[in-house]
Amino acid sequence: MSRIAQSKSQTGRQPSKMVYSAESQVKHPIRLVQLMWADLLSSRELTWRLLVRDIKAQYRQSMLGFVWAFIPPIVTALGFMLAKSNGIVNIGETNFPYPAFVMFSTALWQTFSESVSLPIQQVNASKTMLARIRFPREALILSAEGQVLFNFAIKLILIIGVFIWFRVPITWNVLIAPVALIHLIILGTAIGTFLAPLGSLSNDVTKSLTFILSFWMLLTPVVYPTPEQGIFATIVRLNPVTPLLVTTRELATTGQISDPQSFWIASILAYLGLILAWLIYRLAMPFVIERVSS
Amino acid sequence: MISDLNSQTVDGRATPIDSVAEDAEVVLAVNGVSKKFCRDLKRSMMYGIHDITGELLGLREQSEQLRKKEFWALNDVSFQLRRGDALGLIGKNGSGKSTLLRIIAGLIKPDKGNVEVYGRVAPLIALGAGFNPVLTGRENIYANMSILGLSKQEIDQRFDQVIDFAEVGDAIDAPVRGYSSGMAARLGFASAIHTEPDILLIDEVLAVGDIKFRAKCERKLHTLRRNGTSFVLVSHQPHAILNVCNAAIYLSKGQLMSSGDTFSIMSQYEEDLFLGDEKRTVGVMYLPEKPVSESTGIDITYLFFRDKDGNILETPITGEPCTFCVGYNSRLEVENAGVNFGIQEIGGDGDHVLRLSSFQDKEPLKILPGKHEVQVKMPYLGIKPGIYMMTANIRKDSLYMFDVVDTYRFSVISKNPMSYCSFYQPRSWEVVNK
Repeated sequence: MSRIAQSKSQTGRQPSKMVYSAESQVKHPIRLVQLMWADLLSSRELTWRLLVRDIKAQYRQSMLGFVWAFIPPIVTALGFMLAKSNGIVNIGETNFPYPAFVMFSTALWQTFSESVSLPIQQVNASKTMLARIRFPREALILSAEGQVLFNFAIKLILIIGVFIWFRVPITWNVLIAPVALIHLIILGTAIGTFLAPLGSLSNDVTKSLTFILSFWMLLTPVVYPTPEQGIFATIVRLNPVTPLLVTTRELATTGQISDPQSFWIASILAYLGLILAWLIYRLAMPFVIERVSS
Repeated sequence: MISDLNSQTVDGRATPIDSVAEDAEVVLAVNGVSKKFCRDLKRSMMYGIHDITGELLGLREQSEQLRKKEFWALNDVSFQLRRGDALGLIGKNGSGKSTLLRIIAGLIKPDKGNVEVYGRVAPLIALGAGFNPVLTGRENIYANMSILGLSKQEIDQRFDQVIDFAEVGDAIDAPVRGYSSGMAARLGFASAIHTEPDILLIDEVLAVGDIKFRAKCERKLHTLRRNGTSFVLVSHQPHAILNVCNAAIYLSKGQLMSSGDTFSIMSQYEEDLFLGDEKRTVGVMYLPEKPVSESTGIDITYLFFRDKDGNILETPITGEPCTFCVGYNSRLEVENAGVNFGIQEIGGDGDHVLRLSSFQDKEPLKILPGKHEVQVKMPYLGIKPGIYMMTANIRKDSLYMFDVVDTYRFSVISKNPMSYCSFYQPRSWEVVNK
């Protein structure tokens, strides 16, 4: 073994002191923040391992593999195209060809909805592990979001294909579209992280999540352009997903942001929400684990 | 040293347990730890949400009061562990052993008191936690050891040792789904044990694999201990605790009953477990007469020992002659019947201490109608003092059984100390001129 490795392993074995007591951790905010930061740093490698493990396992057990990432946007697009062309639903004009609009928006929505549900699923699936080993629990959330990014990267192939096929005009602003997308994912992660402890405690969360998300999609301009007036328009506008998703879509296509103010408000909301959700997740997990059999 | 173990000092801090090295540093201090649990599922969920809210708002303090339907799973438990110590946690199911381990591991928060841990804690509670059946052994080792807190570089360094120890051979690149349960457990054990922790928490995992692998695990634990790893071990197998631990604590219903050297704590536990307040089992058993409808024609009516003069013996004595007697009531005449019996130590490892069979001894017994007694004369009773459970049966042949008693309990005492060995050897000493 080289000298460097030796000295490294020695520093690694420096006994670090940990105290577990009944007292609420919130009472020592500085130590809490230090611990949160330390755990975040030490969870990087585990995050990567879990991500690789889960993606490998997922694709090894599936014959269709990548195709699963393409099917939902295509099916949704086909459905709405049929409904629209037959006049079943009345959808306003979109800035670029409707099939491309629906497929791209559905992919964005899916990315958001996965960023809500995957952390909950991941924490739920890791219950036994959580009940037996102490590890930086942040890694579960991060690896779930890693999967969200990975899934989006695959969908990107479809999106690029669709954009070329329908000759969707793009501008240089497409390069900053990922920033808006990240904000969208941050919002989803905040919600998912907040619900994850509850989701492991009670089945009600996972059960209701499916239908809440599908109802939420209807309140978001995914298959229709942003409505201009009426009560529905107000509801859609108050939905925090709207500005983030619409801005991502606008940056990727027309390059014109229609409502930058709402975008920034929703973004700040998302970031603050994530920090709060992280805190809740951390502090709540010991009580959840207590109620999970090992 | 051992005499003052049971006392706790005034400030609630634990007195140290009998240590390998008195001056070795303390690696784990459990100070007056208590934990409440609630068995009612819905209520427990409600309390959970209540506790989480309290934690978030910083309202949670030490909580003395039990809420409705709660009980103390652990109540004011204190002890210390020094570097190189191996501590056994002994107690019945539900006595709080696993809860204590989980608090030490930092998985759940205590309701009172605190736990101070110095160094890396690795749980051996979690054999193969995070194993994914679709992935290969190699991939799973990386994931598993990563969960246990090792970096890729550290795993790379230990990888060969792990597969070597786990004895999985070429299967390392096959999906874990195809492994036998023993192989998977060995792989899990190997990955966990190679994390080289300061404190190893072991919960009922020494039972994995075959006897050869178990012996290997115990050797590995000894090596680790020599290198300064401390253990906390939970097991229901007394020999696992006796082999590995130098100290033990005995928990009952969440209370620390006593702590001290492994052997005396283990004996105390076994006494409590099997005897309650009775210190000795009276080894005489009479069975009620069976109605004819339930009888096969031959019924065992009593079991006991007699001494060399033929008197009924309540507790046979190691090293002295005795006769084991099976009384029966028969309505049949059977030519080649036989009696079998097997003796197991209560709280032992489950193996038979002694098995005797008149069939194997080629001693056919002739059974006549009426009340009779089968006697097995033993010139010396060879089994050590302890509490035993016997099964005895009367058979026609290996398939047809007339009657069986499988709950005959008796204890054996000794007039001279056996010094912890398990077999009485009749002997005489002499010096002979050659």
